[in-house]
Amino acid sequence: MANVMLEVRDLTTKYVTRFREDVYAVDHVSLRVEEGKTLGIAGESGCGKSTLALSLMGYYFPPLHYTGGEIVINGRNITGMNPDDIRKSILGTEIAYIPQAAMNALNPTQKVIHFIEDVILAHDPTESKKNIYEMARASFETLGLSADVLHKYPVELSGGMKQRTVIAVAVILRPKVLIADEPSSALDVTSQKMVIKMLKDLMANGFIKSMIFITHELPLLYNVADDIMVMYAGQIVERGTAKEVVFDPLHPYSKGLMGSILVPEQGFRNTRLTAIPGAPPNLKNPPAGCRFAERCKYVQSECKTTSVPLYEAGNGRAYRCILPEKTLREAYQHAR
Amino acid sequence: MLKGYWRYFLNKLAWFVVTFIFAFLLNFILPRLMPGDPVAAIVARLAQGVSDATGVQAIYRQYTELFGTNRPIPEQFIIYVRNVLRGDFGFSFSQYPRTVADVIRSSILWTICLQFPAIIVGWLIGNTLGALAAYRKGAFDKLLMPISIFVSNFPAFGMAIILMVIFAVQLKWFPTSGGYGFDLIPNLSWDFIRSVIEHYQLPFWSIVIIAIGGQAIGMRSMSIYELNADYVKFSRFMGIKDRKIVGYVFRNAMLPQITGLALAIGTMVGGALVAEIVFSYPGLGYTLLNGIMGQDYPLISAVTLIITIMVLTANFIIEILYGIIDPRIKAAQAEQG
Amino acid sequence: MKHTLRQVFRSGKFVVGFAIFATLLLIVIVYPLIVTDPPLAIIAEGTFFPPGIYVSSFDVVNANTTYVNSTYILHLPDADTRRIASRLTREDRLAMKDWLIAVGIPAGEIDIEDTTQLLAQWSNHYDPKAKIEGMTIAKRNYYARLDQALKGLLSTKEVIIAAADPATGSLTKTGAIGRSDYVNIGQVANVRVLPLGTDNFGRDILTELVKATGVSLQIGFVAGLIATLIGLTLGLLAGYVGGLVDDIIMFFTNLFTVIPTFVLLILISFSIGQEKRGAFTIAVVIGLTSWVWTTRAVRAQVMSLRNRDHVNLSKLSGHSIAYIIVRDILPYIASYVVMALILQISSGILAEAGLSILGLGPRTTEVPTLGLMMNWAMIYQAPILGKWWAYLPVLVTIALITFSMNLMNTGLDQVFNPALRD
Repeated sequence: MANVMLEVRDLTTKYVTRFREDVYAVDHVSLRVEEGKTLGIAGESGCGKSTLALSLMGYYFPPLHYTGGEIVINGRNITGMNPDDIRKSILGTEIAYIPQAAMNALNPTQKVIHFIEDVILAHDPTESKKNIYEMARASFETLGLSADVLHKYPVELSGGMKQRTVIAVAVILRPKVLIADEPSSALDVTSQKMVIKMLKDLMANGFIKSMIFITHELPLLYNVADDIMVMYAGQIVERGTAKEVVFDPLHPYSKGLMGSILVPEQGFRNTRLTAIPGAPPNLKNPPAGCRFAERCKYVQSECKTTSVPLYEAGNGRAYRCILPEKTLREAYQHAR
Repeated sequence: MLKGYWRYFLNKLAWFVVTFIFAFLLNFILPRLMPGDPVAAIVARLAQGVSDATGVQAIYRQYTELFGTNRPIPEQFIIYVRNVLRGDFGFSFSQYPRTVADVIRSSILWTICLQFPAIIVGWLIGNTLGALAAYRKGAFDKLLMPISIFVSNFPAFGMAIILMVIFAVQLKWFPTSGGYGFDLIPNLSWDFIRSVIEHYQLPFWSIVIIAIGGQAIGMRSMSIYELNADYVKFSRFMGIKDRKIVGYVFRNAMLPQITGLALAIGTMVGGALVAEIVFSYPGLGYTLLNGIMGQDYPLISAVTLIITIMVLTANFIIEILYGIIDPRIKAAQAEQG
Repeated sequence: MKHTLRQVFRSGKFVVGFAIFATLLLIVIVYPLIVTDPPLAIIAEGTFFPPGIYVSSFDVVNANTTYVNSTYILHLPDADTRRIASRLTREDRLAMKDWLIAVGIPAGEIDIEDTTQLLAQWSNHYDPKAKIEGMTIAKRNYYARLDQALKGLLSTKEVIIAAADPATGSLTKTGAIGRSDYVNIGQVANVRVLPLGTDNFGRDILTELVKATGVSLQIGFVAGLIATLIGLTLGLLAGYVGGLVDDIIMFFTNLFTVIPTFVLLILISFSIGQEKRGAFTIAVVIGLTSWVWTTRAVRAQVMSLRNRDHVNLSKLSGHSIAYIIVRDILPYIASYVVMALILQISSGILAEAGLSILGLGPRTTEVPTLGLMMNWAMIYQAPILGKWWAYLPVLVTIALITFSMNLMNTGLDQVFNPALRD
């Protein structure tokens, strides 16, 4: 069995709103990423996938708060570690993060090389600026970026260039796990392709050992990820290999997602992810039963009252629905 | 890089020249838009003002010449500009036989030394407090913000009066009025300098306090905006210390505040002029008041022109400095080119 | 609409601001119904009478002499002490203390606040012939006068009231007022309450202030309305039409942003001349010089709206520019315009005050404004003379108006721009 790079058990985090209400945006999430693998996380906007990305870092600041669960990175359990130690020895070196809309992820009034200096010195204050520059130059050139970029301000870079620079900076310390949250959503098609290619190459070039890729664009996810998890209302509702989840979805929500994408209706290409009627529940007061019940075509009377666990279906496959696999597949067959 | 900045500089310089010309035009045209012949009106006022008959004659002759009233308007404008550029504003009605240039020479330095330091100090303190309020939140923020809103909406003269009543009338820590002790003759003695410093405090702080309020509010919302920016999140997750990140945020929030200062400086100077009046500070504000009381048209016209030029120049300098400090300016200009 | 209003009134800041403002407005409307005196009537001979209840001395004396029924005798044990206490200034008390110490009373035993004890000590130890070392003659005379005054206050003799005989000029006693005689204030014909005293011209400040607040609010409103209308029109044109129109409008907007408004106000007001400057004229001038910020804000809003789907749809449907502006753009910027108007009103009031302090406010003969009241107080040096009632109530009123308007504005901002919240 390959090395496990990231193992998360029952992670639960919440937002505390201005009115002191708790919003459990990540609810008992478990996952595992092995060396050399990419895990994709899919879901509508607001389903908690971005919050999950933040929560995985193990470094919380308001309004996000940790409430339970464990995070093990490369065999090291970081749960309960002093935040300053996490900052120094985990962030950037073990696990790195590319934020959504990375267009603004770099300080606009700082040259790229100065930010890299700040990053490296935060982990090793003894490093010389000359070494840092050499290191950054080597990294950038390996990743196909010109060393000139280092001496520029982020405002002087084009959108795609900025995004690739953010990625190059994120992996400068060779983290084991890279979490990419919608890294290409704001870019034009050509830049998107370059960014995706760069991300795929990171592992081959030895910059990272594993990746978690978060997006709402399913075709892209199928293209990039080895395994896919589908999130709904802060919970995982389905897990499997990319092929299984895309071509043989079990959960009615996954089915809805895939259906809406694989048979795009004309004129509604941009609204494909809201093609499932209704909206996700308000997580300030989550429903007692299945969280998808309100929108589910196959809803049963007990769905609304009993909470549904994640059923393991063997070989790492799992789904959160009270109906058996067989019934679900037949229903989908019938619907078609 | 340099090219980008040059473009920005030339742009601002051109704008400075255009605004300058317009300031001249307005100063020239506004009084002439009013019904009646300005020279006739001046003479009418003179009859009440100066009792010295030869003085009236001299002023009248000088003004017909200065305004060239019998010539067409465009020519009058050229004469006006030529006179102003020479620093020739004619005689003051209310302080005859002093010339307007002489009256202004003796007051302009007081105003420059009072207002610009006060506005800059107020700006610095206000921005620091605003950034702290955004960063520390909690009780500090809850206390500072209502005070700032209140102070920034308080009229400038009101702040001056209140400071005067508390610190000059009640506590007698500082003098109530003037730029230096009335029993002193300006010289470089220690007594005189101490007197100037004592008289400086109250007008200075009343301008500072008013400036603090507005700046603190602006800086707070700017900082809150920057604190939520993506680069803050990214920097945190790259393991950079919070203190360093606050440094980024502070700098980035400060930059728009500099342009904010450029835009607000005109309003601030207006308030500060009134503060000068409250303390009878011997600057342009007080000179202006005397001009208005004495119906001294040439003095008022000159003072308003000088104030406008001062504000435009301050504005220009701020913009030029801003272009050097903020790399975004150069990039934006280079992109256009 | 109803929903929006309900939301607005749920914002604490807005409600506080609104309450202050509504109270002021109510006072401005109701007070003149109760006190009908003309606001600029000069009632006092002399300047700066302090706030208080003014009782006609003439009527008090007449109340005591004319009608037997209205004379009351009250024996109050502390009457003498009060009488003296109200006359003895702090300086007098300190001087008495100095004397007592000089004649050998320990300082610890003297309490200048305790009038009874101080008087007792004084009458026991004061000796006009005593020679105290280092005391000037002037000081000795002062003590003698003080002692005489105290004796006068303590005298039990009644005050004789006499009237002059018109024929002979000789005085005839018509009555006497004893130390225990009282009048009921309700039976005194003329009592005037001056809650804020009088100003330098001898006018009732409260009545004047209420009127001035009303006028200043009107000035602010007219100025704000003009500025907002100009700003809205220019902003809509610049933002929606764009192109050359936008360039021209923005050129002037930028120009008037850097040229200090205050200077323009001074120049224009001065040029108009004292005689032609009414309150309304000043309001118009302020309005004409303060539209730049509204123009900028409206333009920015319109530009972001210009290419929204619903506007494009309207364009495709062949609606006219006027229709699109009224139906598809105005409703979306209405909240900004209201906020801009509120700010403009408040800054208009401040601008009037600033101008008036310079002596360029409305001509002074017709109506008071808050700025004019400030100007009068300043010219007559009320702050330096300690006549707080002449300027402080005016300042507080100005501050309350601007503060309440800004609170309302902040409240509205939070309701309409939730993104700005922390």
